[in-house]
Amino acid sequence: MVPTSSYVALSGILFALGMIGVLTRRTAIMVFLSVELMLNAANLALVAFARSWGDPTGQTAVFIVMTLAAAEVAIGLAIIVAIFRKRETTNVDDLAALKG
Amino acid sequence: MILAFIMLGALAIVGGIITIAARNAVHAALGLVGTLLSVAGLFATLNASFLAATQVIVYAGAVMVLFLFVIMLLNANQPVTGRDPVPFVRELAGIGGTLLAGAFVVLAFTFKDPRPLAESAAALKNGTALVMGETLLTRFLLPFEAVSILLLVAIVGAVALVQRPAPQPDGVPDELEAPVGSAREERSGAPRGAAPALSLTRDPEVSA
Repeated sequence: MVPTSSYVALSGILFALGMIGVLTRRTAIMVFLSVELMLNAANLALVAFARSWGDPTGQTAVFIVMTLAAAEVAIGLAIIVAIFRKRETTNVDDLAALKG
Repeated sequence: MILAFIMLGALAIVGGIITIAARNAVHAALGLVGTLLSVAGLFATLNASFLAATQVIVYAGAVMVLFLFVIMLLNANQPVTGRDPVPFVRELAGIGGTLLAGAFVVLAFTFKDPRPLAESAAALKNGTALVMGETLLTRFLLPFEAVSILLLVAIVGAVALVQRPAPQPDGVPDELEAPVGSAREERSGAPRGAAPALSLTRDPEVSA
């Protein structure tokens, strides 16, 4: 059996990749894709720890996180569409000001 | 098992690199689909069969379809270029990400499994829907109900956010309406009669 450490290390690498994406990409949609990558890295670590303790609580938490991520994507993409209709751009540098 | 872990892990990392490095947003989304499917496979190797199925259906299916739909709706598949707001942001992010990944890897290998893996994996009963449902409806009952309300709020919010304002048949003559309309156009900077923001044929060169 593959030890839990290997899974957690893979999860850390995926999380760092997602962080690089959030910091470097300019389009709001690409930032969202990178956030999804980070959420999945966290999910992988949770499932690995759930197996490590033999307790399904971690897996259930992943289920809740998936639901939260789906709701977040629905709202976030709706906000991006609304902003695009108003400003004709999704470049996060142009959207730095809160005033519409 | 070790071979499966290495192959799925390599696939996940390659998909993640495509996600953050692809110039085309559709390619990036497809790279993320690859990562999500590999993570689903990793869930299966971690005795979480129900989660693996959910990952494929909800994440790689529904969520990514939503992403691709919005990318194509907004014609956002072209890269955004221009001056970096922060100097050396790519280099700094690369160095920071490498350091973070290194720290995570070092920290991960300090973790010792609290009891033999075969024993705890057997206690999970392969993570079937039965095991998950028992936990979800006993220990996680309050979060479960809260999440159902959250999903309802998300649906209503998404619909409210993207709906167009209904035209107001107020019976005001056109001569009176014109100055209001032109003032609004000056603020938004769009010429009168310009194509609506979401027209798919707005810029034929970009969409081609």
